[in-house]
Amino acid sequence: MQGKAIILPAAELPRQWYNILADIKMNPPLGPDGQPISPEMLAPVFPMNIIEQEVSSQRWIDIPEPVLDVYRIWRPSPLYRAFALEKALDTPAHIYYKYEGNSPPGSHKPNTAVAQAYYNKQFGIKRITTETGAGQWGSALAFACSQFGLECRVYMVRISFDQKPYRKTMMGMWGANCIPSPSTETKAGRDALEKDPTTPGSLGIAISEAIEVAVGDTSGQTRYSLGSVLNHVMLHQTVIGLEVKKQMEMAGEYPDIVIGCAGGGSNFAGLAFPFVYDKIHGKNVEIYPVEPKACPSLTRAPFIYDHGDTARYTPMLPMHSLGHTFTPAPIHAGGLRYHGMAPTVSQLADEGLITPKAVSQVDCYEAGVLFARTEGFIPAPETTHALAQTIAEARQAKAEGKAKVIVVNYSGHGLLDLGAYERFLAGELQDATLSDEEVKQLVDRIRNHPVPQHLKSV
Amino acid sequence: MSQDPQQMTIRCPRLGSSVTFAYCLGCGQAGGPCFKICDCWWEMFDVVGCLESRLGHEAVVKLARARPAPKVASLIELIAQARKNASGS
Repeated sequence: MQGKAIILPAAELPRQWYNILADIKMNPPLGPDGQPISPEMLAPVFPMNIIEQEVSSQRWIDIPEPVLDVYRIWRPSPLYRAFALEKALDTPAHIYYKYEGNSPPGSHKPNTAVAQAYYNKQFGIKRITTETGAGQWGSALAFACSQFGLECRVYMVRISFDQKPYRKTMMGMWGANCIPSPSTETKAGRDALEKDPTTPGSLGIAISEAIEVAVGDTSGQTRYSLGSVLNHVMLHQTVIGLEVKKQMEMAGEYPDIVIGCAGGGSNFAGLAFPFVYDKIHGKNVEIYPVEPKACPSLTRAPFIYDHGDTARYTPMLPMHSLGHTFTPAPIHAGGLRYHGMAPTVSQLADEGLITPKAVSQVDCYEAGVLFARTEGFIPAPETTHALAQTIAEARQAKAEGKAKVIVVNYSGHGLLDLGAYERFLAGELQDATLSDEEVKQLVDRIRNHPVPQHLKSV
Repeated sequence: MSQDPQQMTIRCPRLGSSVTFAYCLGCGQAGGPCFKICDCWWEMFDVVGCLESRLGHEAVVKLARARPAPKVASLIELIAQARKNASGS
């Protein structure tokens, strides 16, 4: 009988993370004056050992033993062969999914939370603050801090705090203090409450509170933690892909296609970057970050320096963008202004080392339901983006009669987010997209932005 | 569409929880609409037309031009603001 799970022996847990900054060239983030932002400017919120990782170009970075020891609670995570999904699709493709839903908080996020907690502890930090929306990141950091005896304060957006009280309980189980934001603990919170005592809060207020608490601690024993976008977060997540490479060896196969959803970029990077390394060194593998079809920040737009706001006060970072002057046409407005992607992911897309894909909301929910009804696991809504592309590739393989090997990152379970499926099951969603001509017109409006060098790493 | 969009709910991809359109109208910078409001709602209804009727064309153009700050840049800004708050200035 053929097993479904490919279990990596505990002794094979990777001992190093892969740092993609060793193999690609990055344009530096720019300040309002056009000058690069120095890493030291982040010292008020991050310990220096994490800042050093943020800017490191060392290819392989040792995973500290205490981090490995916590990883061993759920790592190596299983890689599954999706036989039931393959059968449902009647595809010759071999589909594998890396299951990251088995961590204590239920997602890939502890891979960096644990590392960040450790490095803060090593730096002498006693307390870590962060913000969270519905609690996924807050839960991951709470778990991580509990493992290293750190105090954790999580500012959770009030509207989510009220909707998901069990998240506060989860964080409380790990000893963290989850505070509805806005709170009276910070000036940022008090200002928001003064304007509207019944405000449901926002992520902007919550992050302001978390950073204010970190910066305002004159003892220097408090820092802030972020779970996406930054280079060190991508680094820590590569343990996913490094495990997968070993597991694929056990399976006797190598992927033709590697797929991950690309919100802030961290779970995609975690699976994909080790395969990007292979691709740079000659392997023939297609790598797809997947985003909502309505959000073509990578798939359709040019690579430019772009400001963060209309007034152009904020510094510029090189990334894919549709620019400031975009005015959404009726119905065709989806996703064009979100560009919160990790700069490393943007760079890889620009170099052609990865190929962004986009999927519709309907396709995502259909994929989530099909996956649940075949493989059994109910995926997190974000994860369904990757699954939708996986299904599309498997169908394409059938059409071409090719037994392609596909690996997808199942970044987290959706058991605490079932409400997301309600509208789909009620049949309320529809679909739409931008035309090529509309994208072209938008791109024409940002021709005058400075263009970063199109660096080639290989 | 017969339903008042302000009473409709959707899963916010940033928060990961359910929000009403009314929330999206006021959770952005300075109490304005969220920068992703069109992104999230366009598959549900003519959100741009709705916003124009509510806020006027110029306000919608301004909203469409607003961009989230890149993360590193926004952190630098937040650190500066936090220092001001901590010093009481």
